[in-house]
This record gives sequence, C-alpha cells and structure tokens, in this order.
Amino acid sequence: MAKVEKKKKRQRPILSNSIALASKRKMKGKKIKKVASDVRRRKFGPHLPSSFMKEMGIQKPSPNSSDLTGGEEEEEGEDLYEYEEAIPEEETGKNRRYDAVENYEYELPEEFEDEDVPSDENDDVSVDDGDDAGVDEEEEGEDAGEKHVRMLQSITGLPAEAFEGKGKKNVTLLDVHGDMGPQHVSIYDFLDPLHGKSGYSKLRKRVHQLEREPMAVSAPLPKVEREKLEREVTYAQSKKEITKWEPLVKRNREAPTLLFNEDLDLAVPTVGAIAAEHRPRTEFEKKMAVLLGDPEVLEAHTKDGAKLLELNKISVKDVLDRHNHLAKMRSLFFRHEMKSKHIKKIKSKTYHRILKRGRQKGASAEINMDPEAANELARKQEFKRAEERMTLKHKNSSKWAKRIIKRGLKAQDEGTRAAIAEQLQQHALLTRKMNSMIENSSSDETSDDDSDDFSPGSDREGVSKLLNKAKEKTIKVMEEEEDMPKSGVLSLPFMERSVKRQREAAREEALLALQEYEASLGKHDEKGDEKVPSTAQTSGKRVFGGAKSQPKELSRKPKSPYNSDSESDFEARDGEEEQKIEDRSQQAKIGSLLLPDEALAAQNKICEDLDDIAKIPASKTTYEVAIFASDTWRKIGSENSQDNVKIEPSAAESPVHPNSDNMVHDGNSDSDSETEMVDGFISSVPKSEYELPSQSELIRRAFAADDVEAEFEKDKMDTLNAENHEPEKPALLPGWGQWTHIQQKKGIPSSMIEKHEDEIKKREEALKRRKDANLKNIIISEKIDRKAEKLHAKSLPFPYTSKEVYEQSIRMPIGPDYNPAISIGALNRPAIVKRAGVIVKPIVYEEIDPCSKLDEPKESKKIRQKQNRKKAKVDGRKFAVKS
Amino acid sequence: MKVKVISRSTDEFTRDRSQDLQKVFRNYDPKLRTQERAVEYTRALTAAKLEKIFARPFVGALDGHIDAVSCMAKNPNHLKGMFSGSMDGDIRLWDLSMRRTICQFPGHQGAVRGLTVSTDGEILVSCGTDCSVRLWNVPDYRSKNLSESSGNALEPMAVYVWKHPLWGVDHQWDRTLFATVGAQVDIWDHNRSEPVNTFKWGNDTVISVRFNPGHPDLLVTSSSDRGIILYDLRVSSPARKLILKTRTNSISWNPMEPMNFTAANEDTNCYSYDVRKLSEAKCVHADHVSAVMDIDYSPTGREFVTGSYDRTIRIFNYNGDHSREVYHTKRMQRSLFASVVVCCFWFTVIADEFSVPCRVFCVKYSCDGTYVISGSDDTNLRLWKAKASEQLGVLLPRERKKQEYMDAVKERYKHLPEVKRIIRHRHLPKPIYKAATLRRTMVEAERKKDQRRRAHSAPGSMPVQPFRKRRIIKEE
Repeated sequence: MAKVEKKKKRQRPILSNSIALASKRKMKGKKIKKVASDVRRRKFGPHLPSSFMKEMGIQKPSPNSSDLTGGEEEEEGEDLYEYEEAIPEEETGKNRRYDAVENYEYELPEEFEDEDVPSDENDDVSVDDGDDAGVDEEEEGEDAGEKHVRMLQSITGLPAEAFEGKGKKNVTLLDVHGDMGPQHVSIYDFLDPLHGKSGYSKLRKRVHQLEREPMAVSAPLPKVEREKLEREVTYAQSKKEITKWEPLVKRNREAPTLLFNEDLDLAVPTVGAIAAEHRPRTEFEKKMAVLLGDPEVLEAHTKDGAKLLELNKISVKDVLDRHNHLAKMRSLFFRHEMKSKHIKKIKSKTYHRILKRGRQKGASAEINMDPEAANELARKQEFKRAEERMTLKHKNSSKWAKRIIKRGLKAQDEGTRAAIAEQLQQHALLTRKMNSMIENSSSDETSDDDSDDFSPGSDREGVSKLLNKAKEKTIKVMEEEEDMPKSGVLSLPFMERSVKRQREAAREEALLALQEYEASLGKHDEKGDEKVPSTAQTSGKRVFGGAKSQPKELSRKPKSPYNSDSESDFEARDGEEEQKIEDRSQQAKIGSLLLPDEALAAQNKICEDLDDIAKIPASKTTYEVAIFASDTWRKIGSENSQDNVKIEPSAAESPVHPNSDNMVHDGNSDSDSETEMVDGFISSVPKSEYELPSQSELIRRAFAADDVEAEFEKDKMDTLNAENHEPEKPALLPGWGQWTHIQQKKGIPSSMIEKHEDEIKKREEALKRRKDANLKNIIISEKIDRKAEKLHAKSLPFPYTSKEVYEQSIRMPIGPDYNPAISIGALNRPAIVKRAGVIVKPIVYEEIDPCSKLDEPKESKKIRQKQNRKKAKVDGRKFAVKS
Repeated sequence: MKVKVISRSTDEFTRDRSQDLQKVFRNYDPKLRTQERAVEYTRALTAAKLEKIFARPFVGALDGHIDAVSCMAKNPNHLKGMFSGSMDGDIRLWDLSMRRTICQFPGHQGAVRGLTVSTDGEILVSCGTDCSVRLWNVPDYRSKNLSESSGNALEPMAVYVWKHPLWGVDHQWDRTLFATVGAQVDIWDHNRSEPVNTFKWGNDTVISVRFNPGHPDLLVTSSSDRGIILYDLRVSSPARKLILKTRTNSISWNPMEPMNFTAANEDTNCYSYDVRKLSEAKCVHADHVSAVMDIDYSPTGREFVTGSYDRTIRIFNYNGDHSREVYHTKRMQRSLFASVVVCCFWFTVIADEFSVPCRVFCVKYSCDGTYVISGSDDTNLRLWKAKASEQLGVLLPRERKKQEYMDAVKERYKHLPEVKRIIRHRHLPKPIYKAATLRRTMVEAERKKDQRRRAHSAPGSMPVQPFRKRRIIKEE
C-alpha cells in the first residue's frame, strides 16, 4: 500500500502543480505542496476533485459526494476526461517499465505569483501579448489552458512556469461563448468586436481588473473635510507657483536703482516726418517752394530727364566760352607741371646751387626792398632761435648724437663727424645770434675790443689807453644801470630788489674803481716809466686784460679740482676764441652775460676779498685756500704787479701744502661763514674730530631757558579747573554777620563750611574719576561739545551693524564739487527712476539665473559704481524680506 | 629738456552753442577741499528745509458728485482717466489734467460699491447695492465732441442682475475675467451673463476683492467675518483663509512683488503679508488714528497710499512701519460745511448746515506713480502729488541733476538729528494730533499692563508674541 502511495506521490506532482496554480490564487505564501500531500495521504488512488464532482453532480448527480475535502481543492479545474488522460502510463509507474522521474521534489518559489497563468490554446491568435487570460474567471478557458499546459508538461517534463510566456499570449473567448449561447450577454460580447483594435488590450485588462476585485466603494468623506483637503492642495500649489517670482523680486530689491520705462520710445519724429510737415514761411523758402512745386518741373521729373534739359536754359555761347576757358587753364597747368618735373630731374649740383643762391638773393633783395618781408624773416629767425633754446635740438642731445658721443667721436666715420660738427655749428650759430641780440650789454664787445686792441707788447700808451677805456666803460655802465628790464623773470619784485641791491654795490665799486683809475692815470702820468698799474685795486677785468699776455694754457689750467665758480667767471672774460673750445665755461658765461651787473659785482667782490686778505691777518689761512684755488690768479698777480706787495706775503706763504692748511683751520670758524666764495672748497676738506653732544643734552641745551614741564602742569591744572570748578571759599558778605562780636567770634556758619568741604570732596572724586587722572603727561578733556553733538547720529541707523561701516558709507563726498561729472550721475541716482506721465506696468515674469547676481548689462555698470555706497542698504532690504 | 607750457585743446573750450555754459575744470584733489563733509551736511540741511518749504502736495479738488464718493477706478491704459462712483448711483469719468467730468454713466439704482476697468481700458465694470453688474464701453478720450452735454446719456453695454447686493469688483490683469463680491465671490467673463465660477467659504459678506496684477490667477478677498481669503482660479478653489482680530476693509497687491499684499485694517494699521507665509505679517504699517478704508500700491511697488476714516491720507514705504507722508487739508477737517445747494431736476434742496465729515473712502495711486487721488465723504475727489515737494513739469537736465544731488545728500545725512527732525516733522490737525497722542497713551498703557502681568505670572506662562502675529487669530 505504501508503495502505491509513494507512486502516487510521484505522479501527483504533475497534478499538484496545476492544482497549485489554481489554489495559489487564494492562499498566497502557503506551502502548497504540503497541503497537497496531506490530501493525498487521506485518499487512495486517483480521484476527482470535489468541485468537479459537484459540477458533475449538477449535470448528472454523482454519488461520490463524500469525497469532499478541504477547500483548497475546490477550485481544481479538471474535468473527468482530462483527469483520466492526465496520468500517462509511464508516470503511474505501475509496471515499473519506466524510470522514476524525480520531479515531484519540485517546489514553487516562495514569491511565486500566479497572476499570469499560462492559458493559451490558440497559439495562432497571439495578438494580445500582455493579456493574462482569465483562467479563473471562465472555467472553460481554464480547462483548455490546463489541458494544454499539461500536455506540454507531459511532453517536455518541465514545470508549468516554463510555458508562462506562451500562456501570456492570448485567449480567445469567441468560440467559448459561442458554446454558451446568446442568452447571457456579458461585457465580453461587446469587447469582442473590438478585438485587434488599438487600445483593446488595455480595455480588456481593465475589465479584468474590475471583475477580479470587486472593490467596495468606501463612503465619501464629509464635504467639509474634502474641501479642506482641496484647499490644502490648492494652497500648496499656488505657493509653489508664486515662488517662481522670488529671484526676480530679490533682484529688484537688491538693485540700487530701479529703472522704469527706460527703453520707452517717446516717438521722436524722423527727419522725413518733419520735412513732410514743413511749410515755407520766409520769402526765400516760398520762392524755393514755388520752383520746386512747379508742375512742369514735377512732370519732367516724373517722366524722364529729357524735359529737364529743355527747362534748363543756357545759351550755346556761354557753354562754349566756359569750355574754352577750362581747356586753357588745363593746358597751362599741364605745362607748368612738366616744367617743374624737368627741373627736378636735373641732377647737376651746381645748377641747383646756383638756383638756390639766386632764390636767396632774390629773397634778400626782396627783404631789402620790402620791410614786411624783412620783418617776416626776422620773426622767423627769432622763432628758430627760440625753438633752439627750448629744444636744444642741435646740442647733441638727441638719441643719435648721444649714442655717437658715447661710442667716441673718433670711432665714427668722416660723414658722421661732419654731421655732428655741423650740428654743433648750427647750435652755436643760433645761440650766437641770441648773444648778438644783447650785445649792448657791453662785456662781449669789451672783451672783443680788448683782444683787438691788445698787442702782445703793449706799451705805456696802451696802458693809459686801456685805463681810459675802462673808465669810459665804467661810466657807461653806471649810466646804463638805470634802465631795468620790464618783463621776464627780472621784472619780478624780489628779483628787482636784489638786482637793485647789487647795483648799489656795483655802483659804489665802480665809483671806487673810477677813483682808482683817476689816481693811477695821474700816477701814470707822473712816473711814466712805471708800466704796471696797481692791480690790487683794479677790477678783475683789468687784471685779465693784463693777463692776456699769458699763454693760453695758463688760463685754461683750471681743469684742476679747484675749478670754482668764480674762476669760470674770470675765464669768461677771456675772449671769443675760448668760447669755442670750452662749452661749459661758455654756458657759465652766458649766465653771467645775462646778468652783467651781477658779474661785475662778483668781480669787484673778488678784488675786495683780496684787499681783505691783506688787511686781516687772522683770516689768513682761509684766504690762502681761496687763493690757492685760483692759482692762475695768484700767478698773474705775482708776475704782473710790483705794487702788489701787500698780497705778496700771503702768496709767499702759500707754497704750504693744502694738507698742512687744514691744521691751521681750526679756530677761525667765525671767519668761515663770511667767505661764501670758498665754501664749496672748504666743505670738501675733511674735518677734524669733533664730538657731538648726545640728543638729550642737545634738547636740554635748546630748552634750557623755558621750563616746559611746569608749563604743561599749569595747563593741565587750568583745564581741570575749567572742567571741574574749584569751589569758592565760604565767605560772608562784608558787613554781614558782623553786628556783634559774638557773631564775629562764631565766624562763618558751620553749614557753609560743611558745604564747602563737601564740594571739595566731590571735586576730588571727580578728578580721580577722570581718564587722565593717572596719566601725568596727558590731558584728556571731558568737556562735552554741545555744538558737535548735533553732528552725530544719536544711535546707529537701522541697516548698519557697525559704526565703522556707517561712517565709511558717508565718508566720500558725492557732490559735483568733489567728483568728476561722469561719476556724479551714478553717485546721486535715486532709488527709483521713472518718468512722470508714463504708465508703469506691473511686473512681467522673466527667467533669471538666481546664481548670477546682476544679469542686467545695462544696469550692471552703474550698480557696480554704487555698490559700496549702497551695500548697507541692500542688507537692510534683506532684513525687511526676512521680517 | 621739457618745457612746460599751458596747452588747451580747442575741443574742450569750445561751446556748441553760445547759450552753453563755459566748462569749468576742477582739481579734484581731496587735499584742496578738506571741508567736504561739513559742506555736504549743510547742503543736506538746506535740502531738508527747502523740501519743507516747497511741500505743496495738494493739486486740486474735483467736485461734481452729489453724494459721497464710495469707489474709484483708474484706467490702466489712460493716465488721465479716472472713474468714480458715488453713493447715489452716479458714475463719472474724470479728466485729471483738466480736473473736470468727461462723462457720466447713469443707471445704478443704489450706491455704486465697486468699479473696475479692463486692462485695455475699453470696458468699465460697475456694481452696486442694487444687485446689478453693469458693463460700459469707455468713451474715447480723444474725440473732441465728447463734452458733458453730449456724453451724458451713455447706455451700459450689458446689465446683469444678480442675487445679492454687490460690494466690490475687480478686473483681472490682461484677461477677460472679473470678480464681484457680495454674499459670495463670483467670477465673470465679459461675454457671459452668468458667472463662470462661484466660491463661497463661510456665510459672511465679502467686502473687497483684488486680483493679483503680476500673477493674474490669484485673487484675495476680505470679508466681514474679519477674514482674508486667498483664491486660485486655476484650481478654482479657495486656498487659504486668515482670520484677524478686526476686519480688513481693503487689500492691495504689490504690483512688483506678486507674492506680497497689504491689507488695510479697521484697527488703524496696515499689514503686509507674504502669501506663502500668512502666519505672520511681514510688516505692520502704523500711523493712522482711525480705520483705514482703502489702500492702493504705487505701480513702482515701493510705496502705497492709504485713506482713512480719520480724514487723512498717508503714504507708506512698502517696508516702512511709519508713514512717509501725511496729507490733509483744512477743508477736509471741517466738520460743518455751510450751505450746500443740491440741485436736481425738479426740486432744490437747500441744506443750511449739514455735516460733511470728509472721511476718505477710497484712494488711488496714479498709473505713473506721480499722483494720488482720494475720494471722500464730502463728494469730492482730491488730487495730490505723491512727492509733496516735487517740481512738476519738464525739468532741465541741470535742474534734475541738482534735485538728485539734493535728494542724495539728504538721504545720506538723514540720520543726523537736525536733518532728521526737519524731515520728519509734519503738521497735523488738532483732532488728529490729539487722537494720536491718546492712542499712543493707550498703547503704552496696554503695554505696561501686559508687562506687569507677565512679571507677576509664572515664567513662560505668557509667551511674548510679536506684534506682527498678535492680530492674527488663525490661519486655515
């Protein structure tokens, strides 16, 4: 028996699979197999499922109703026939002719869902793929499906799931229903004609769903609740919608300036529009209008140009004349052009030179003839000179010239050297012209004259002549002194004053010199054999006049370090030829020439100094230095003069080396300051040891007279008293309380004294509380300035969070007096710019990038300018948004 | 060698026209002018004083109505056009520049409570207590023959009689819908005689309605149950209700910030709300001493004007807790108005002395943000400048620059005590001044009392509620 059971067990799975498929619909997650085996255990042999029994009973009442068992088998959809056929021989294993197939062990997966039971029998109708045929809805369909599956299963030995895909395919219900007859019209009858149409499967599916799970419709919510929910949803929705404006609004709020209707076109009329409205008003306009509006002309314009020509009346003769005239002019022009071309082509230099000369000659003749042309030329020359002076174009200051000089003139080729020389020449020319302009300032001429007059071996006559000349000159100069320059630097008041002063001095000197001349002239007359005049009293010029006999090297010697200013002055006297050789000294000379009187004064001074040397032995050393510096002078002096005995000793002493001079230097610091002339030199000499006093010592010495500390203390006391008044001493009014001696004895009433003491105490406390109570050297005023109080904000204004930021925000001025016109607009732009009379429309949505701060190119510039200024304001707005 | 010479380019020194000013060249080195702050402060002070001197806000009164002006509407497409409706059913179209009536729209049997104009300025919608909604064609302003005599007899384009008296109407921006309110909120289309949609939430009368100009599907209403209700037309359902302690008389949306609106409340304050966060007001604008009757935003969205039962008009900044400006005239304050003669067709009423309290019932900001119009109890419309000291008319560029500089300087130094004092100072009529003082005293007393209560109760039992939330009862 057990064997039989086992066999049944073996064969059962096939069945149970199908059972499972059906039963699983009801009880998901249960282990089907177990249930099935339970059932089998109770029964013996193959049997009909109870449901089928029932069904059969309905059709033909059967006696095996006792077989009814568990509900799980109720839905096993198998008919008798199928059931019998379902057990093939090999599976029953009765005769043991077949090997046992171990497929009874098969278990359905736990999460197996049998929604899509394979239930197709017509593979050919495979249109509806997604359709999971209603196996459980219609028994017939299910039967067929089961049958098919089983067949497949029996052939392949695979579980039913393997055929799922196929099973999905389709079920056609047409034939099934055809069996049933027309008495029951179901929804499928209506569906069927739609078969194959698009959307059919969807419809079908829905029908299935509806049929499968007949949902109990829950009672509707009360209206109030429903509306509430609806409102919630609506509000959430509209909230979300309105949030889209946020970036836009934020941008507008943060913008320092809102511009409304900026791009509005206020319909400025075009030129055409204006012209169309034009009406002739003046006579001329009217005439024009008549001509333009002439119907004939208009007509001609509209038709073609031929008529216009007719209207344009000109005589043939006029046209011809004009034509001839034009032709003549043209031919003349042509000839002239050809001629000039020809001339230009001639390469002969001589020809050109001659041509040029001729032109110049013509020009000069013209100048001579024509005062205007001369004037013009003079002006031109003047301009050139001024230009030269300004630009110094020909002074080898150009890049090219500098480079050449740097490389060395000798390294250059002939042409370059010539060019440089030419430049210099030109410069000299131009500048000399300038000199000649002021030749009436004497010195140049004098020197020229001197050089002319002097012959190497000048005799007594020459000397007297010279003296006379000098006298003349001096007088002349003295006469000329009076006229001051009316313009230029010299006309400035302070210059004027100084010039005057110098002139005074020079005048005196000149007078002295004049006397000397007289004297020497007299002397000269007296002792004719004594040739040499007294140089000690004569001016420098005179000396140099004498020195002319010296070889040139002597005068040019001062390339030595002792080349002081005074010396260059002397040299300047020397004459024309020197000018050319040494540029630097010439410059100096020009300087001196500009101020001839000054130069004169300087000369005189030198003489004076020399006199002083002789007089003051104390200052000997210093002057020795000076003399040493201008050794040419000394030599001249020593050679030339016999009378110069006074100087002689100092000159004799001079052979002492400059180094040794320093030793003597020490004591006479006083005389130092007087001798400005040699200052430069002295300073270059290393000084002797001198110990500086310490800084504090110096300060102490400097303020030895005044007691600063005491002063400060007094100041402090004053401020303290001013800010905390010292209480007045209690005193009675005179006569008050002095009626009787008792009263007098009592003195001042105690209450007053107490009060006074109290006040003193208070004051002391107040003083202690002061900030500068413990700071000895500081006064901190605690006085409150009522007037200044008005200029301070009482509290920090709202948007600002720190005092510094607020102060910063009002630091820079914004007015037109302090800012250029370009930036004023941006600085003062109001928060809203709109035009009166233009309608402002409400905001229109536009997509903006919330990340980019300012995407308006038009505004961005302005905003950037204002950003610093308005920063705090923007913050404030943000606050407002939050609050 | 560099020679320094004075060189001037002719371009810089040549004027285009002989009337032009010579250019002045300045050295802007700050070292040369060290007193700039002192100078600018003085200028600010001067500017503040000048502003006071030139403050003449009242432009003119527009009279013609024979009963109190109850509502106004501005023509969004025409600057000069202003409609006003009065309690006797009269509707007038005014030319603001001429300050006269262009035409009248007769027809309403009872008081006109609401007026609105479509965005294109073509259609005027009016409604009133006679339960009718009337649509009118707005006459063309440019036609010359439209004088008072000829334009008098205007027929309404359509008349819809409805179930209940209507309290307000507002037109959607740029679309064809408009909403009327009364016992319920009805949304109408120009072309239909029946409302296309109807909302009802609660049983109380809705007294004002306003569409959001930026976001045209949103509208907000206020009702006599002290509620403010937000509707969304796309979902066709109310969205949110906010119940305050006192009634909201009027509401205005900020045209530049579609999420914000300001409600004019009975409790003398205005409250600005963000639609997304109705649990607290964003800002409380306080200064009136009596109920605020109407409010309207400037088209720039930076200011709004309020008219109050206390016979003043105030202008607030959109985020300012106190008013920037207060407008009133002597005539507005006069409680007794002598001998007003009212002429009608067949009878003459001579009212010897009857009181005209001049409560401001409606205010509007003009479409260019330059003027303010108020309509009041004393049958007058009044035209004011939005900026009291602004110079009207064309300004030369130099004048404009100067004005800008003065304003900028004033703005910069407005925190300094002297400047602040001058800028803030306003003269108030005696009754209003007294009422304000009294009100301040009351508020102070209340605050003190609250403080004491808090001091004598267990800590934490009386949570401090900010003023912005205090007036809100609930949000649903």
